[in-house]
Amino acid sequence: MKKKGLLVLGVIAGGAVAGTLAVAKEKLPEHLRELLELGMHPGHVFVDEGRDYYHNLKGPNGKTCATCHGQDGAKLVGAYAKMPRYYKDIDAVADIDLRIYKCMTKYMGFDPKDKKFKKKYLKTYRVPLATYVASLSNGMKIDVKIQHPKEKEMYELGKKVWFTRAGAREFSCAMCHMVLAGRRIRLQGLPNPVKAKSYNHWPAYRFGSDKMWTMEDRVRTCFRAYFLFLNKWDEKKDWVKTPPFFAKEVIAVELYMKHASNGGVIEVPGLVR
Amino acid sequence: MKKIALAGAIVGLGLLVACQPAAQKAEAQKPKKKLTAYEKFRIAFYQNQDKWQRYCSNEAQVVPKGISVEEFKKAMLATIKFPPGGKVMGDWKRGEKLFGDPKKGGRSRRGNCYACHCGDPQIIACGNIGPSLRGYGKKGVDPKQTYMRIYNSWAFVPCSAMPRLGYWGVLKPEEIADIVAFLHSPESPINK
Ligand code: HEC
Ligand code: HEC
Ligand code: HEC
Repeated sequence: MKKKGLLVLGVIAGGAVAGTLAVAKEKLPEHLRELLELGMHPGHVFVDEGRDYYHNLKGPNGKTCATCHGQDGAKLVGAYAKMPRYYKDIDAVADIDLRIYKCMTKYMGFDPKDKKFKKKYLKTYRVPLATYVASLSNGMKIDVKIQHPKEKEMYELGKKVWFTRAGAREFSCAMCHMVLAGRRIRLQGLPNPVKAKSYNHWPAYRFGSDKMWTMEDRVRTCFRAYFLFLNKWDEKKDWVKTPPFFAKEVIAVELYMKHASNGGVIEVPGLVR
Repeated sequence: MKKIALAGAIVGLGLLVACQPAAQKAEAQKPKKKLTAYEKFRIAFYQNQDKWQRYCSNEAQVVPKGISVEEFKKAMLATIKFPPGGKVMGDWKRGEKLFGDPKKGGRSRRGNCYACHCGDPQIIACGNIGPSLRGYGKKGVDPKQTYMRIYNSWAFVPCSAMPRLGYWGVLKPEEIADIVAFLHSPESPINK
C-alpha cells in the first residue's frame, strides 16, 4: 500500500465523507468525541483502505476495480443507494458484500473455488471495499426498487425472515426491533431500524469493539441471539451461531430493511456502539 | 440459477416437515455427507422451528386469529416436566449463577434473566423487557407456578418474548428448581 498517498487522500476524505452518528454525542467515549471535533471519523481509515484496494489491488488477470468502474469509482456513484438489487450477469439479487465478491471471481480472475481467497476476501478486502463503494453514494437518497421477479421473491423472503420466530430463544428480528423497540436488553437500547430508516448509516464503525461492519455483519451477528441449533440446543456442541456470509436469508432481510429506508439520505461510514 | 432452485426446494421441504417435533426429526433425516454451513442454518432456522413458533411468526407476533389461546396454553402446559420427586425449589445459590452470575456482572448464557429482568439490586446491568423481579418472593406466588412459568412461559403468555427455557432444554428441570429457589428464598438477594 502506498501509505503516503493514503494519508493525503485521508485528509481529503475527511471533508468529503460525512459519516453519521447513530449515537448521541454525549454518550461517546472521550477520545472519540475529541477526534470527531477535529473532523476525524475512525471509519475513514476503512474508506481510504478501500479506495486503495479499488485502484491498486490487481486480480490474476491484471484488472483492478477501476478498470471497469472508472477512476475514483466514477461509475459506481449512486450504485449503493439502489442495492441490494437483481444483477443479470449473476442472475441473483446481491448486496454489496456479494456483488464485490462476484466481481472479483467473475471479472478479475480470482478462483471462486479458492477457499483461501474467499477467506481473504471476507476478512480483509470486503469491509474496506464495501465501505468505500458505499461512501460514493453519500448525500444521496436510498432508492431500492422491487421490480424484477427475483427482487419480489427476495423481498417476500426478507419480510418472512423479519417475522420468523426461531431457535431456543424464540427470537425474531421483529420481536427485538419492533415489539420491544425502545426497551433495553440488558443495557442496550433496542432500535427499530425499519421505522428509523437506519440503513442510511451502514456500513458503520462500532466504537465499542473498534470494528467496521457492513449490514451483513450486523444482521449475521443479530442471529447469535436466537440460539439456533441443529439437533438439540447445546451451547458448546450444537449452536448454529450465524448464517454464513451471502446467505439468501441475510440478503433478503437486508433488501426488506433497505426498502423500508427508502428516502433516507446515505451518510457512511456511520458510528454505532 | 440451479442453486437457488435447489434452495427453494429445501425451503418447501422445511415447511412440510416443520409440523412435526422438528428437533428430533432433524437428526433422523440428517444425510450422511457433511452439511455446509448454509444447510445447517436452514435446518436450524426452518426445519427446527416448531409449530407454536410458526403461529407466533406474524406481524403482531401474537397468537393469530383462528388459533385458540386456551388450546395453545393447554398444549404448552402439557410439555412441562418436573424434577425427580416434584421438588420445584432447589439451591438458591446455584440458581443465582444460572439466573445471572454476579461475578460476571449478572451475565449467563444459561438463564440470562438479567437481559430482560431486573432482580438483585446489586446488578444494575438489567433489561426492562419483562417486569422487575425484585422482591418476587414476597408476592405470594406459588413456587410451582414460578417453576412452570420458567419451564414454559408460553403456557401463560403464548408468543411471549420470554423463551421457553425448559421446553428447549436450555435449562434442565433441576436447574429451573434452583432458579425458583433464587426467586422465592427469603435469603436470596432478590428478596432482601
Ligand atoms: C471486468 C470488469 C469488472 C471488474 C474488474 C469489476 N467489476 Fe464490478 N461490475 C462489473 C459488471 C459487469 C457489473 C454488473 C453491472 C450491472 O449489471 O449493472 C458490476 C457491478 C458492480 C457493482 C454494482 C453496480 C451497480 O450499479 O449496482 C459494484 C458495487 C461493483 N461492481 C464493484 C466492483 C468492485 C469493488 C470491483 C473490484 C474489487 C469490481 N466491481 C470489479 C464488472 C466489473
Ligand atoms: C435479541 C434481540 C435482537 C434480535 C433478535 C435481533 N437484533 Fe438486531 N440488534 C439488536 C441490538 C442489541 C442491536 C444494537 C443496538 C445498538 O447498537 O445500540 C441491534 C442492531 C441492529 C441493527 C442496526 C440498527 C441501527 O440503528 O443501526 C440492525 C439493522 C439490526 N439489528 C437488524 C436485525 C435483523 C435483520 C434481525 C433479524 C435477523 C435482528 N436484528 C435481530 C438486538 C437484536
Ligand atoms: C427475552 C426476554 C426474557 C428473558 C431472557 C427472560 N424473561 Fe421472564 N419475562 C419476560 C417477559 C416479557 C415477561 C412478561 C410476559 C410473560 O409472562 O411471558 C416475563 C415474565 C416473567 C415472570 C412472571 C413475572 C410476573 O410478575 O408475572 C417470571 C417469574 C420470569 N419472567 C422469570 C424469568 C427468569 C427466571 C428468567 C431467566 C431464567 C427469565 N424470566 C428470562 C421476558 C424474559
